[in-house]
Amino acid sequence: MAEIFVFSEDLALAKQLLTPALELKASLTQPIVALALSEESAKELVALGADKAIALKSDSKWVEGFSEAIFTHVSNAGASVLLVGGTLSGKHIASYVAAKLGAGMTSDAKTLRIDGANLVTSRVLYAGLAVAEEETVLPAVVTVRARTFVAPATAAKAGTVETAAVHGDARYTLGQVTSTVTEGVDITAADKLVSVGRGFKTKDDLKLAEDLAGALKAEISCSRGVAEDDHWLPIERYVGISGQTVKPDLYLAVGLSGQVQHMVGCRESKVIIAVNSDEKSPIFEAADYGIVGDLYEVLPLLTAAVRNNGGR
Amino acid sequence: MPNCLVCYKWTLDERDIKINPSDLSLDSSRAKGKISDFDRMAIEEATLIVEKHGGAVEALSYGTAAVKQSLKDTLSRGPGKAYWIADASAENADAVVTTNVLAAAIKKLGSYDLILCGEGSSDAFNQQTAPRIAALLGLPCLSFVNKLSITEDVVSVTRKLPDRTEEVSVRGPVVVSVLSEINKPRIPSLKQVLGAAKKPNQEIKIADLGLKPEDLQPKTVRRSVKGFVMQRKNVIYKETNLADNVAKLKESLAAEGLC
Repeated sequence: MAEIFVFSEDLALAKQLLTPALELKASLTQPIVALALSEESAKELVALGADKAIALKSDSKWVEGFSEAIFTHVSNAGASVLLVGGTLSGKHIASYVAAKLGAGMTSDAKTLRIDGANLVTSRVLYAGLAVAEEETVLPAVVTVRARTFVAPATAAKAGTVETAAVHGDARYTLGQVTSTVTEGVDITAADKLVSVGRGFKTKDDLKLAEDLAGALKAEISCSRGVAEDDHWLPIERYVGISGQTVKPDLYLAVGLSGQVQHMVGCRESKVIIAVNSDEKSPIFEAADYGIVGDLYEVLPLLTAAVRNNGGR
Repeated sequence: MPNCLVCYKWTLDERDIKINPSDLSLDSSRAKGKISDFDRMAIEEATLIVEKHGGAVEALSYGTAAVKQSLKDTLSRGPGKAYWIADASAENADAVVTTNVLAAAIKKLGSYDLILCGEGSSDAFNQQTAPRIAALLGLPCLSFVNKLSITEDVVSVTRKLPDRTEEVSVRGPVVVSVLSEINKPRIPSLKQVLGAAKKPNQEIKIADLGLKPEDLQPKTVRRSVKGFVMQRKNVIYKETNLADNVAKLKESLAAEGLC
């Protein structure tokens, strides 16, 4: 009997994958098998509804090197669908497994369901300009980004846990691994964001945005350029197709042009406000409210006005 | 001296695509073609490698008849020769078909030490091409690379992932996908643009690749494509008195319960 497979090296994301996996299970009446990187993780996944979890045990620390082992498990079981957490490592592994299976693959699916004998998914195209609905014959591979789904509640009956030894890929030599230094700020959890773009002339000028954020009780986020090119803010604060996806109540974009690659990361915000000196900037089409003006003049006035309002 | 091949995609420039408000269909009638953004970095990286170590860079693209328009731009950016596969199958090709075609073409062309791709295409951004080609050719794959060096036959890279950077090395040949940060692609000079016209290009016919009909059968088909339209209030304060504009914006914030 075919099985639905789930894998992510990120346990929180693996749990989230169980939500669409349980929906597929209802349609396909097939059990869910989770591949995990430790027995502890495997236990947590069966507690949330995986019928079986296999803890892959290895001396290797390089998760991409498990691609062949994951392919072997998925292939031997005759998997119908493989759901993989859409980290960059996950996409590497998923693409490899899909190629070896000769299977179609949807990257960064937003929704997925079974229709007839096929898997139907939706995803964005052209960096967010459009949404495509795609149909893939089974077996199919899908990657899903973090926070697309919420992890399911504890299952009535926990599944079983097995272990399997896997070997890394000896062709690769892993050298130094450096964790990205983060401030531990999670902009995806913020109710309000003041988001800065390259309209700011220097790093010190970001103080103007920080003052407004302080008055609004908001966090600071930014565009890709501010984080990746100027290095003024850590990369965990940048919003966009290759950065964070946020859905705050307020997204106040300052000196930010609002290119589609950025807006795809914030367009589900409840209210979007723009401050930009260029009236033709695309940010105004994406905004509920806006001021056309020089941010260096607007921000101090706006900060003062919000403070006078009590800064509720 | 490394023998490099860059796989690139000729895509529509998404900035020229408009959404028809009536039915949310996409109007790409005015969209011009371009080399997919990150593939430009792959071309530049291969060119930098060859400028440093010697060797050769060639380029390969699979697309519809429009792919031929890419040759001049591609060749002005450094590669010494471009191969192109123009076939109607590309219109509906998914990553399975695309990589079946590219891998078959690479096998036919011979052996390369380094095969480079951008991390994903500007249009579909599937991010599947490099690992799939590697799997089909039985080669290692170094994905999401933002730094690359070559010593003898060892390719060493820095992979930049959201939570970590990794140093990884393999003995070539290897397939590499590059991140946008890896370099700043050169703007071709007039001399390079004129020189591109003298460089060779060669068409590869899909019928000559020894592919079976099912290899050209997509596993994923598009049911629909709809423009994404945001419903926003678009209340923009742009009077000459900035203080008035700020006061109005503050009232709007308060009305929304946001301050």
